Amino acid sequence: MTTGASNALIEMRHLSKLYSRGLYALRDLSLTVFKGEFVFLAGSSGAGKSTLLRLLLMQERPSEGELIVNGYNLAKLKRSEIQEYRRGIGFVFQDFKLVPSRTVLENISFVPEVQGVPLSQQRRRAFQVLKGVGLQHRMNAYPGELSGGEQQRIAIARALVNAPALILADEPTGNLDPDLSLEVMNLFREINAGGTTVLVATHDRELIRLVGRRTVTLGHGRIVEVA
Amino acid sequence: MSALRYALREAIASLWRRRSASVFSVAAIGLAIVVLGGLLLVTFNVDRVVAEWSSAAELSVFLSDEVTDDERLAVETLIDGSAVALDRERVSKAQALERFRRDFAELAVLVESPEGNPFPESIELRLRPDVEGGAEVEVLAGALSNAPGVSDVRYDRQWLARVTALLTAFRRVGFGLVFVMMAAAAFTVAAVVRLALHDRRDELEIMQLVGSPYVYIRGPFVAEGVIQGGAGAAAALLVLWSGFAVAVSWWGSDLAAIGSVEGLRFLPPGTCAVLAVGGMTVGGVGGFAATRVVS
Repeated sequence: MTTGASNALIEMRHLSKLYSRGLYALRDLSLTVFKGEFVFLAGSSGAGKSTLLRLLLMQERPSEGELIVNGYNLAKLKRSEIQEYRRGIGFVFQDFKLVPSRTVLENISFVPEVQGVPLSQQRRRAFQVLKGVGLQHRMNAYPGELSGGEQQRIAIARALVNAPALILADEPTGNLDPDLSLEVMNLFREINAGGTTVLVATHDRELIRLVGRRTVTLGHGRIVEVA
Repeated sequence: MSALRYALREAIASLWRRRSASVFSVAAIGLAIVVLGGLLLVTFNVDRVVAEWSSAAELSVFLSDEVTDDERLAVETLIDGSAVALDRERVSKAQALERFRRDFAELAVLVESPEGNPFPESIELRLRPDVEGGAEVEVLAGALSNAPGVSDVRYDRQWLARVTALLTAFRRVGFGLVFVMMAAAAFTVAAVVRLALHDRRDELEIMQLVGSPYVYIRGPFVAEGVIQGGAGAAAALLVLWSGFAVAVSWWGSDLAAIGSVEGLRFLPPGTCAVLAVGGMTVGGVGGFAATRVVS
Protein backbone atom coordinates (compact mmCIF):
# COMPACT_ATOMS: atom_id res chain seq x y z
CA MET A 1 0.00 0.00 0.00
CA THR A 2 1.36 3.41 -1.04
CA THR A 3 -0.02 6.65 0.25
CA GLY A 4 -0.45 9.51 -2.19
CA ALA A 5 -1.38 13.12 -1.44
CA SER A 6 -3.31 13.28 1.81
CA ASN A 7 -6.67 14.42 0.40
CA ALA A 8 -6.35 12.77 -3.03
CA LEU A 9 -8.32 9.58 -3.59
CA ILE A 10 -7.19 8.96 -7.19
CA GLU A 11 -3.84 10.11 -8.51
CA MET A 12 -2.69 9.51 -12.08
CA ARG A 13 0.82 10.46 -13.13
CA HIS A 14 1.73 10.06 -16.80
CA LEU A 15 -0.59 7.06 -16.93
CA SER A 16 -0.67 5.08 -20.18
CA LYS A 17 -2.24 1.86 -21.33
CA LEU A 18 -0.63 0.24 -24.32
CA TYR A 19 -2.09 -2.79 -26.04
CA SER A 20 0.00 -5.41 -27.77
CA ARG A 21 -0.52 -4.05 -31.29
CA GLY A 22 1.20 -0.82 -30.28
CA LEU A 23 -2.11 0.95 -29.79
CA TYR A 24 -2.37 3.38 -26.89
CA ALA A 25 -5.85 3.25 -25.29
CA LEU A 26 -4.72 5.84 -22.74
CA ARG A 27 -1.71 8.13 -23.12
CA ASP A 28 0.06 10.23 -20.52
CA LEU A 29 -2.90 10.99 -18.24
CA SER A 30 -2.18 13.08 -15.17
CA LEU A 31 -5.15 13.82 -12.96
CA THR A 32 -6.11 14.01 -9.30
CA VAL A 33 -9.55 13.24 -7.92
CA PHE A 34 -9.97 14.40 -4.33
CA LYS A 35 -11.81 12.69 -1.53
CA GLY A 36 -15.49 13.59 -1.53
CA GLU A 37 -15.41 14.82 -5.14
CA PHE A 38 -17.99 14.05 -7.85
CA VAL A 39 -16.29 13.85 -11.23
CA PHE A 40 -17.65 13.08 -14.66
CA LEU A 41 -15.49 11.27 -17.17
CA ALA A 42 -16.78 12.34 -20.56
CA GLY A 43 -15.92 11.52 -24.13
CA SER A 44 -17.21 9.72 -27.15
CA SER A 45 -16.99 5.98 -27.73
CA GLY A 46 -13.35 4.84 -27.95
CA ALA A 47 -12.07 7.88 -26.03
CA GLY A 48 -10.67 5.64 -23.27
CA LYS A 49 -13.31 6.00 -20.52
CA SER A 50 -13.94 2.28 -20.12
CA THR A 51 -10.22 1.48 -20.28
CA LEU A 52 -9.58 3.91 -17.45
CA LEU A 53 -12.39 2.33 -15.39
CA ARG A 54 -10.94 -1.14 -16.07
CA LEU A 55 -7.60 0.11 -14.74
CA LEU A 56 -9.32 1.56 -11.69
CA LEU A 57 -11.08 -1.76 -11.08
CA MET A 58 -7.78 -3.61 -11.57
CA GLN A 59 -9.21 -5.62 -14.43
CA GLU A 60 -6.11 -4.47 -16.29
CA ARG A 61 -2.78 -3.02 -15.22
CA PRO A 62 -1.25 0.25 -16.35
CA SER A 63 1.51 -0.03 -18.96
CA GLU A 64 3.32 3.15 -17.95
CA GLY A 65 3.06 5.77 -15.23
CA GLU A 66 1.49 5.65 -11.80
CA LEU A 67 -2.07 5.11 -10.68
CA ILE A 68 -2.64 5.47 -6.96
CA VAL A 69 -6.18 4.81 -5.68
CA ASN A 70 -7.28 4.90 -2.07
CA GLY A 71 -3.62 4.50 -1.05
CA TYR A 72 -2.88 1.56 -3.36
CA ASN A 73 -0.32 1.87 -6.15
CA LEU A 74 -2.12 -0.18 -8.79
CA ALA A 75 0.92 -0.65 -11.01
CA LYS A 76 2.66 -2.49 -8.21
CA LEU A 77 -0.32 -4.17 -6.56
CA LYS A 78 0.30 -7.84 -5.83
CA ARG A 79 -2.25 -10.35 -7.04
CA SER A 80 -3.07 -11.25 -3.43
CA GLU A 81 -3.89 -7.58 -2.71
CA ILE A 82 -6.29 -7.03 -5.63
CA GLN A 83 -9.38 -8.37 -3.86
CA GLU A 84 -8.59 -6.39 -0.72
CA TYR A 85 -8.24 -3.22 -2.85
CA ARG A 86 -11.54 -3.87 -4.64
CA ARG A 87 -13.41 -4.12 -1.34
CA GLY A 88 -12.92 -0.37 -0.95
CA ILE A 89 -14.62 0.38 -4.27
CA GLY A 90 -18.23 0.18 -5.40
CA PHE A 91 -19.05 -0.21 -9.08
CA VAL A 92 -22.13 0.39 -11.21
CA PHE A 93 -22.44 -0.75 -14.84
CA GLN A 94 -24.70 0.16 -17.69
CA ASP A 95 -26.14 -3.38 -17.83
CA PHE A 96 -26.68 -3.50 -14.03
CA LYS A 97 -25.01 -6.93 -13.66
CA LEU A 98 -27.60 -8.26 -11.23
CA VAL A 99 -27.93 -12.03 -10.68
CA PRO A 100 -31.36 -12.95 -12.08
CA SER A 101 -31.79 -16.02 -9.85
CA ARG A 102 -31.41 -13.99 -6.63
CA THR A 103 -33.93 -11.64 -5.09
CA VAL A 104 -33.21 -7.94 -4.72
CA LEU A 105 -32.14 -8.35 -1.09
CA GLU A 106 -30.01 -11.40 -1.96
CA ASN A 107 -28.32 -9.52 -4.80
CA ILE A 108 -27.17 -6.95 -2.28
CA SER A 109 -26.43 -9.23 0.68
CA PHE A 110 -24.48 -11.44 -1.74
CA VAL A 111 -21.62 -8.89 -1.60
CA PRO A 112 -20.98 -9.02 2.16
CA GLU A 113 -21.71 -12.76 2.09
CA VAL A 114 -18.92 -13.52 -0.38
CA GLN A 115 -16.59 -11.27 1.57
CA GLY A 116 -17.05 -13.40 4.67
CA VAL A 117 -19.12 -10.88 6.64
CA PRO A 118 -21.01 -12.63 9.47
CA LEU A 119 -24.52 -13.76 8.53
CA SER A 120 -26.21 -11.51 11.09
CA GLN A 121 -24.74 -8.38 9.48
CA GLN A 122 -25.28 -9.34 5.83
CA ARG A 123 -29.04 -8.80 5.63
CA ARG A 124 -29.06 -5.84 7.99
CA ARG A 125 -26.51 -3.97 5.87
CA ALA A 126 -28.29 -4.95 2.66
CA PHE A 127 -31.64 -3.73 3.97
CA GLN A 128 -30.14 -0.42 5.12
CA VAL A 129 -28.76 0.45 1.67
CA LEU A 130 -31.94 -0.79 -0.02
CA LYS A 131 -33.85 1.59 2.18
CA GLY A 132 -31.37 4.30 1.17
CA VAL A 133 -32.32 3.93 -2.51
CA GLY A 134 -36.02 3.73 -1.64
CA LEU A 135 -36.68 0.19 -2.80
CA GLN A 136 -37.12 -1.66 0.48
CA HIS A 137 -40.66 -2.64 -0.57
CA ARG A 138 -39.20 -4.61 -3.54
CA MET A 139 -36.73 -6.61 -1.44
CA ASN A 140 -38.27 -9.98 -2.34
CA ALA A 141 -38.69 -9.24 -6.05
CA TYR A 142 -36.38 -10.69 -8.70
CA PRO A 143 -34.44 -8.37 -11.06
CA GLY A 144 -36.58 -9.47 -14.00
CA GLU A 145 -39.65 -8.03 -12.24
CA LEU A 146 -38.14 -4.54 -11.93
CA SER A 147 -37.93 -1.60 -14.32
CA GLY A 148 -34.55 -0.48 -15.70
CA GLY A 149 -34.42 2.44 -13.27
CA GLU A 150 -35.21 0.20 -10.32
CA GLN A 151 -32.58 -2.32 -11.41
CA GLN A 152 -29.96 0.43 -11.61
CA ARG A 153 -30.93 1.65 -8.13
CA ILE A 154 -30.45 -1.91 -6.87
CA ALA A 155 -27.03 -1.99 -8.55
CA ILE A 156 -26.19 1.29 -6.80
CA ALA A 157 -27.39 -0.11 -3.47
CA ARG A 158 -25.12 -3.11 -4.03
CA ALA A 159 -22.20 -0.77 -4.75
CA LEU A 160 -22.90 1.04 -1.46
CA VAL A 161 -23.27 -1.98 0.79
CA ASN A 162 -19.57 -2.00 1.73
CA ALA A 163 -19.60 1.75 2.45
CA PRO A 164 -16.83 2.23 -0.15
CA ALA A 165 -14.56 5.25 -0.37
CA LEU A 166 -15.11 5.40 -4.14
CA ILE A 167 -18.01 4.63 -6.47
CA LEU A 168 -17.16 3.97 -10.12
CA ALA A 169 -20.01 4.05 -12.63
CA ASP A 170 -19.64 3.14 -16.29
CA GLU A 171 -22.46 4.68 -18.37
CA PRO A 172 -24.94 4.06 -15.52
CA THR A 173 -27.77 5.77 -17.40
CA GLY A 174 -27.01 4.25 -20.80
CA ASN A 175 -30.08 2.01 -20.68
CA LEU A 176 -32.43 4.54 -19.07
CA ASP A 177 -34.74 7.25 -20.38
CA PRO A 178 -33.91 10.92 -19.53
CA ASP A 179 -36.20 11.14 -16.47
CA LEU A 180 -34.84 7.96 -14.94
CA SER A 181 -31.30 9.05 -15.84
CA LEU A 182 -31.73 12.23 -13.84
CA GLU A 183 -33.25 10.26 -10.97
CA VAL A 184 -30.19 7.97 -10.89
CA MET A 185 -27.85 10.97 -11.06
CA ASN A 186 -29.67 12.56 -8.13
CA LEU A 187 -29.06 9.37 -6.21
CA PHE A 188 -25.33 9.65 -6.99
CA ARG A 189 -25.44 13.25 -5.79
CA GLU A 190 -27.01 12.16 -2.49
CA ILE A 191 -24.34 9.48 -2.09
CA ASN A 192 -21.64 12.04 -2.83
CA ALA A 193 -23.17 14.41 -0.30
CA GLY A 194 -22.61 11.69 2.29
CA GLY A 195 -18.84 11.92 1.62
CA THR A 196 -18.32 9.16 -0.93
CA THR A 197 -16.20 10.01 -3.95
CA VAL A 198 -18.07 9.37 -7.19
CA LEU A 199 -16.58 8.95 -10.67
CA VAL A 200 -19.13 8.60 -13.45
CA ALA A 201 -18.20 7.81 -17.05
CA THR A 202 -20.80 8.99 -19.53
CA HIS A 203 -21.10 10.38 -23.04
CA ASP A 204 -24.38 12.15 -22.13
CA ARG A 205 -23.43 15.86 -22.30
CA GLU A 206 -26.94 16.99 -21.38
CA LEU A 207 -26.87 15.00 -18.16
CA ILE A 208 -23.46 16.42 -17.29
CA ARG A 209 -24.83 19.92 -17.87
CA LEU A 210 -27.85 19.27 -15.63
CA VAL A 211 -25.80 17.84 -12.76
CA GLY A 212 -23.02 20.37 -13.18
CA ARG A 213 -19.86 18.88 -11.65
CA ARG A 214 -16.18 18.77 -12.57
CA THR A 215 -15.84 17.05 -15.92
CA VAL A 216 -12.74 15.42 -17.39
CA THR A 217 -13.11 14.90 -21.13
CA LEU A 218 -11.07 12.22 -22.88
CA GLY A 219 -10.37 12.02 -26.58
CA HIS A 220 -8.26 9.37 -28.28
CA GLY A 221 -6.88 8.27 -24.91
CA ARG A 222 -5.74 11.73 -23.80
CA ILE A 223 -7.25 14.33 -21.49
CA VAL A 224 -8.53 17.02 -23.82
CA GLU A 225 -10.41 19.17 -21.30
CA VAL A 226 -10.98 19.55 -17.56
CA ALA A 227 -13.94 21.82 -16.80
CA MET B 1 -16.19 -21.69 8.50
CA SER B 2 -18.45 -19.31 6.62
CA ALA B 3 -16.39 -19.87 3.45
CA LEU B 4 -16.74 -23.63 3.84
CA ARG B 5 -20.46 -23.35 4.53
CA TYR B 6 -20.89 -21.10 1.50
CA ALA B 7 -18.80 -23.44 -0.72
CA LEU B 8 -20.77 -26.52 0.29
CA ARG B 9 -24.14 -24.83 -0.09
CA GLU B 10 -23.33 -23.45 -3.54
CA ALA B 11 -21.71 -26.74 -4.64
CA ILE B 12 -24.73 -28.82 -3.64
CA ALA B 13 -27.12 -26.40 -5.34
CA SER B 14 -24.99 -26.39 -8.50
CA LEU B 15 -24.72 -30.20 -8.57
CA TRP B 16 -28.48 -30.47 -8.20
CA ARG B 17 -29.08 -27.94 -10.99
CA ARG B 18 -26.86 -29.94 -13.37
CA ARG B 19 -27.50 -33.38 -11.94
CA SER B 20 -27.53 -35.09 -15.37
CA ALA B 21 -24.03 -33.87 -16.20
CA SER B 22 -22.85 -34.58 -12.66
CA VAL B 23 -23.79 -38.25 -13.07
CA PHE B 24 -21.09 -38.56 -15.77
CA SER B 25 -18.29 -37.30 -13.57
CA VAL B 26 -19.48 -39.35 -10.59
CA ALA B 27 -19.61 -42.41 -12.87
CA ALA B 28 -16.13 -41.70 -14.28
CA ILE B 29 -14.61 -41.46 -10.81
CA GLY B 30 -16.64 -44.44 -9.63
CA LEU B 31 -15.46 -46.57 -12.54
CA ALA B 32 -11.82 -45.67 -11.94
CA ILE B 33 -12.17 -46.56 -8.26
CA VAL B 34 -13.99 -49.81 -9.03
CA VAL B 35 -11.02 -50.83 -11.21
CA LEU B 36 -8.49 -49.71 -8.60
CA GLY B 37 -10.47 -51.26 -5.74
CA GLY B 38 -10.98 -54.49 -7.72
CA LEU B 39 -7.28 -54.64 -8.41
CA LEU B 40 -6.47 -54.11 -4.74
CA LEU B 41 -9.12 -56.63 -3.69
CA VAL B 42 -7.73 -59.33 -5.98
CA THR B 43 -4.09 -58.70 -5.15
CA PHE B 44 -4.88 -58.40 -1.44
CA ASN B 45 -6.47 -61.87 -1.40
CA VAL B 46 -3.94 -63.44 -3.77
CA ASP B 47 -1.13 -62.05 -1.60
CA ARG B 48 -2.68 -63.74 1.40
CA VAL B 49 -2.93 -67.04 -0.48
CA VAL B 50 0.64 -66.78 -1.74
CA ALA B 51 1.84 -66.00 1.78
CA GLU B 52 -0.04 -69.03 3.04
CA TRP B 53 1.41 -71.24 0.35
CA SER B 54 4.87 -69.87 0.99
CA SER B 55 4.68 -70.98 4.60
CA ALA B 56 3.26 -74.40 3.65
CA ALA B 57 5.09 -77.43 2.24
CA GLU B 58 7.40 -76.18 -0.41
CA LEU B 59 9.01 -79.26 -1.86
CA SER B 60 7.00 -82.34 -2.79
CA VAL B 61 8.56 -85.63 -3.84
CA PHE B 62 6.12 -87.87 -5.68
CA LEU B 63 6.91 -91.57 -5.55
CA SER B 64 6.04 -94.05 -8.27
CA ASP B 65 3.41 -96.69 -7.56
CA GLU B 66 6.11 -99.34 -7.83
CA VAL B 67 8.42 -97.79 -5.24
CA THR B 68 10.05 -100.31 -2.92
CA ASP B 69 10.63 -99.89 0.80
CA ASP B 70 14.39 -99.63 0.20
CA GLU B 71 13.91 -96.92 -2.41
CA ARG B 72 11.58 -95.01 -0.10
CA LEU B 73 14.10 -95.29 2.72
CA ALA B 74 16.88 -94.10 0.40
CA VAL B 75 14.84 -91.05 -0.54
CA GLU B 76 14.13 -90.23 3.11
CA THR B 77 17.80 -90.67 3.96
CA LEU B 78 18.74 -88.29 1.14
CA ILE B 79 16.30 -85.70 2.49
CA ASP B 80 17.43 -86.02 6.09
CA GLY B 81 21.07 -85.87 5.04
CA SER B 82 20.67 -82.60 3.17
CA ALA B 83 19.61 -80.66 6.32
CA VAL B 84 17.47 -78.24 4.33
CA ALA B 85 14.15 -79.52 5.63
CA LEU B 86 12.58 -78.44 8.90
CA ASP B 87 10.40 -81.53 8.78
CA ARG B 88 8.98 -83.97 6.33
CA GLU B 89 5.63 -85.74 6.08
CA ARG B 90 4.82 -88.89 4.19
CA VAL B 91 1.44 -88.71 2.42
CA SER B 92 0.13 -92.08 1.36
CA LYS B 93 -2.01 -92.63 -1.71
CA ALA B 94 -5.05 -93.04 0.54
CA GLN B 95 -4.27 -89.81 2.39
CA ALA B 96 -3.81 -87.93 -0.88
CA LEU B 97 -7.18 -89.17 -2.11
CA GLU B 98 -8.82 -88.25 1.16
CA ARG B 99 -7.29 -84.80 1.05
CA PHE B 100 -8.61 -84.26 -2.47
CA ARG B 101 -12.08 -85.43 -1.50
CA ARG B 102 -12.09 -83.04 1.45
CA ASP B 103 -10.81 -79.99 -0.46
CA PHE B 104 -12.76 -80.55 -3.66
CA ALA B 105 -15.92 -82.36 -2.56
CA GLU B 106 -17.84 -81.61 -5.72
CA LEU B 107 -15.02 -83.00 -7.87
CA ALA B 108 -14.70 -86.21 -5.89
CA VAL B 109 -16.75 -88.11 -8.46
CA LEU B 110 -14.00 -87.56 -11.02
CA VAL B 111 -11.52 -89.69 -9.10
CA GLU B 112 -13.87 -92.63 -8.63
CA SER B 113 -12.44 -94.81 -11.42
CA PRO B 114 -12.20 -98.59 -11.87
CA GLU B 115 -8.41 -98.24 -12.11
CA GLY B 116 -8.33 -97.27 -8.44
CA ASN B 117 -6.68 -94.34 -6.62
CA PRO B 118 -4.95 -92.08 -9.17
CA PHE B 119 -2.99 -90.06 -6.61
CA PRO B 120 0.66 -90.95 -6.02
CA GLU B 121 2.31 -91.40 -2.66
CA SER B 122 4.45 -88.40 -1.77
CA ILE B 123 6.81 -86.90 0.76
CA GLU B 124 6.24 -83.20 1.57
CA LEU B 125 9.08 -81.15 2.91
CA ARG B 126 8.84 -77.91 4.87
CA LEU B 127 12.05 -76.02 4.13
CA ARG B 128 14.17 -74.01 6.50
CA PRO B 129 13.45 -70.32 5.87
CA ASP B 130 17.15 -69.52 5.45
CA VAL B 131 17.55 -71.96 2.54
CA GLU B 132 14.33 -71.18 0.67
CA GLY B 133 15.12 -70.40 -2.94
CA GLY B 134 18.78 -71.26 -2.40
CA ALA B 135 21.15 -73.48 -4.35
CA GLU B 136 21.09 -76.20 -1.67
CA VAL B 137 17.41 -76.80 -2.34
CA GLU B 138 18.01 -76.89 -6.08
CA VAL B 139 20.77 -79.51 -5.54
CA LEU B 140 18.48 -81.61 -3.35
CA ALA B 141 15.59 -81.32 -5.85
CA GLY B 142 17.94 -82.47 -8.63
CA ALA B 143 19.23 -85.40 -6.60
CA LEU B 144 15.70 -86.46 -5.65
CA SER B 145 14.53 -86.29 -9.29
CA ASN B 146 17.20 -88.84 -10.21
CA ALA B 147 16.59 -91.11 -7.22
CA PRO B 148 15.05 -94.55 -7.96
CA GLY B 149 11.34 -94.77 -7.11
CA VAL B 150 10.75 -91.00 -7.58
CA SER B 151 8.32 -90.08 -10.37
CA ASP B 152 8.37 -86.29 -9.95
CA VAL B 153 9.65 -83.46 -7.74
CA ARG B 154 7.75 -80.20 -7.37
CA TYR B 155 9.60 -77.31 -5.86
CA ASP B 156 6.81 -74.85 -4.94
CA ARG B 157 9.11 -71.84 -4.79
CA GLN B 158 9.62 -71.96 -8.52
CA TRP B 159 5.98 -71.59 -9.39
CA LEU B 160 5.34 -69.31 -6.41
CA ALA B 161 8.02 -67.07 -7.88
CA ARG B 162 6.18 -67.22 -11.21
CA VAL B 163 2.87 -66.39 -9.46
CA THR B 164 4.53 -63.47 -7.67
CA ALA B 165 6.06 -62.20 -10.94
CA LEU B 166 2.67 -62.51 -12.64
CA LEU B 167 1.04 -60.68 -9.77
CA THR B 168 3.61 -57.88 -10.00
CA ALA B 169 3.01 -57.54 -13.75
CA PHE B 170 -0.75 -57.57 -13.14
CA ARG B 171 -0.33 -54.80 -10.55
CA ARG B 172 1.78 -52.66 -12.90
CA VAL B 173 -0.63 -52.95 -15.79
CA GLY B 174 -3.56 -52.41 -13.43
CA PHE B 175 -2.08 -49.33 -11.78
CA GLY B 176 -1.19 -47.92 -15.19
CA LEU B 177 -4.78 -48.39 -16.30
CA VAL B 178 -6.06 -46.85 -13.06
CA PHE B 179 -3.76 -43.84 -13.52
CA VAL B 180 -5.19 -43.25 -17.00
CA MET B 181 -8.74 -43.68 -15.71
CA MET B 182 -8.15 -41.33 -12.78
CA ALA B 183 -6.78 -38.68 -15.15
CA ALA B 184 -9.82 -39.15 -17.40
CA ALA B 185 -12.09 -38.84 -14.36
CA ALA B 186 -10.36 -35.61 -13.30
CA PHE B 187 -10.83 -34.22 -16.83
CA THR B 188 -14.50 -35.20 -16.73
CA VAL B 189 -14.96 -33.42 -13.40
CA ALA B 190 -13.15 -30.38 -14.77
CA ALA B 191 -15.47 -30.35 -17.80
CA VAL B 192 -18.57 -30.56 -15.62
CA VAL B 193 -17.27 -27.86 -13.28
CA ARG B 194 -16.54 -25.65 -16.30
CA LEU B 195 -20.23 -25.91 -17.17
CA ALA B 196 -21.01 -24.62 -13.69
CA LEU B 197 -18.47 -21.82 -14.17
CA HIS B 198 -20.17 -20.87 -17.41
CA ASP B 199 -23.62 -20.93 -15.78
CA ARG B 200 -22.41 -18.63 -13.02
CA ARG B 201 -20.07 -16.38 -14.99
CA ASP B 202 -22.09 -13.25 -14.12
CA GLU B 203 -21.99 -14.04 -10.42
CA LEU B 204 -18.27 -14.79 -10.65
CA GLU B 205 -17.58 -11.50 -12.36
CA ILE B 206 -19.46 -9.67 -9.61
CA MET B 207 -17.65 -11.66 -6.93
CA GLN B 208 -14.32 -10.69 -8.44
CA LEU B 209 -15.27 -7.04 -8.73
CA VAL B 210 -16.53 -6.75 -5.17
CA GLY B 211 -13.26 -8.15 -3.85
CA SER B 212 -14.52 -11.51 -2.75
CA PRO B 213 -11.64 -13.65 -1.42
CA TYR B 214 -10.53 -16.34 -3.89
CA VAL B 215 -11.58 -19.03 -1.44
CA TYR B 216 -15.18 -17.87 -1.93
CA ILE B 217 -14.81 -17.68 -5.70
CA ARG B 218 -13.08 -21.01 -6.24
CA GLY B 219 -14.27 -22.86 -3.15
CA PRO B 220 -17.70 -23.90 -4.48
CA PHE B 221 -16.17 -25.41 -7.62
CA VAL B 222 -13.47 -27.30 -5.73
CA ALA B 223 -16.17 -28.48 -3.29
CA GLU B 224 -18.25 -29.57 -6.26
CA GLY B 225 -15.35 -31.71 -7.48
CA VAL B 226 -14.72 -33.12 -4.00
CA ILE B 227 -18.40 -34.04 -3.59
CA GLN B 228 -18.47 -35.70 -7.02
CA GLY B 229 -15.29 -37.61 -6.14
CA GLY B 230 -16.68 -38.66 -2.77
CA ALA B 231 -19.96 -39.79 -4.31
CA GLY B 232 -18.07 -41.71 -7.01
CA ALA B 233 -15.86 -43.37 -4.40
CA ALA B 234 -18.84 -44.26 -2.19
CA ALA B 235 -20.68 -45.75 -5.17
CA ALA B 236 -17.56 -47.66 -6.22
CA LEU B 237 -17.05 -49.11 -2.74
CA LEU B 238 -20.70 -50.16 -2.66
CA VAL B 239 -20.36 -51.86 -6.05
CA LEU B 240 -17.13 -53.57 -4.95
CA TRP B 241 -18.63 -54.74 -1.69
CA SER B 242 -21.76 -56.04 -3.45
CA GLY B 243 -19.64 -57.81 -6.06
CA PHE B 244 -17.46 -59.26 -3.35
CA ALA B 245 -20.49 -60.47 -1.37
CA VAL B 246 -21.91 -62.15 -4.48
CA ALA B 247 -18.54 -63.74 -5.35
CA VAL B 248 -18.14 -65.06 -1.79
CA SER B 249 -21.64 -66.52 -1.76
CA TRP B 250 -21.12 -68.21 -5.13
CA TRP B 251 -17.47 -69.33 -5.07
CA GLY B 252 -16.23 -68.46 -1.61
CA SER B 253 -15.76 -71.98 -0.28
CA ASP B 254 -14.03 -73.18 -3.45
CA LEU B 255 -11.69 -70.23 -3.57
CA ALA B 256 -10.95 -70.50 0.12
CA ALA B 257 -10.18 -74.21 -0.32
CA ILE B 258 -7.76 -73.51 -3.17
CA GLY B 259 -6.12 -70.85 -1.11
CA SER B 260 -6.24 -72.94 2.03
CA VAL B 261 -6.84 -69.76 4.02
CA GLU B 262 -9.75 -69.05 6.32
CA GLY B 263 -11.76 -67.28 3.67
CA LEU B 264 -11.78 -64.33 1.29
CA ARG B 265 -11.67 -60.90 2.87
CA PHE B 266 -12.88 -57.50 1.71
CA LEU B 267 -10.49 -54.56 1.62
CA PRO B 268 -9.37 -53.36 5.06
CA PRO B 269 -11.14 -50.19 6.36
CA GLY B 270 -7.92 -48.19 5.96
CA THR B 271 -7.73 -49.05 2.26
CA CYS B 272 -11.42 -48.13 1.80
CA ALA B 273 -10.73 -44.79 3.47
CA VAL B 274 -7.73 -44.20 1.18
CA LEU B 275 -9.91 -44.97 -1.87
CA ALA B 276 -12.59 -42.53 -0.66
CA VAL B 277 -10.04 -39.80 0.01
CA GLY B 278 -8.41 -40.58 -3.35
CA GLY B 279 -11.72 -40.13 -5.15
CA MET B 280 -12.33 -36.82 -3.39
CA THR B 281 -8.79 -35.69 -4.20
CA VAL B 282 -9.19 -36.51 -7.90
CA GLY B 283 -12.52 -34.64 -7.92
CA GLY B 284 -11.04 -31.69 -6.04
CA VAL B 285 -8.08 -31.50 -8.42
CA GLY B 286 -10.48 -31.54 -11.38
CA GLY B 287 -12.57 -28.80 -9.78
CA PHE B 288 -9.53 -26.69 -8.96
CA ALA B 289 -8.11 -27.12 -12.46
CA ALA B 290 -11.38 -25.87 -13.92
CA THR B 291 -11.18 -22.69 -11.84
CA ARG B 292 -7.75 -21.71 -13.14
CA VAL B 293 -9.54 -19.38 -15.55
CA VAL B 294 -10.77 -17.37 -12.55
CA SER B 295 -8.17 -14.79 -11.58
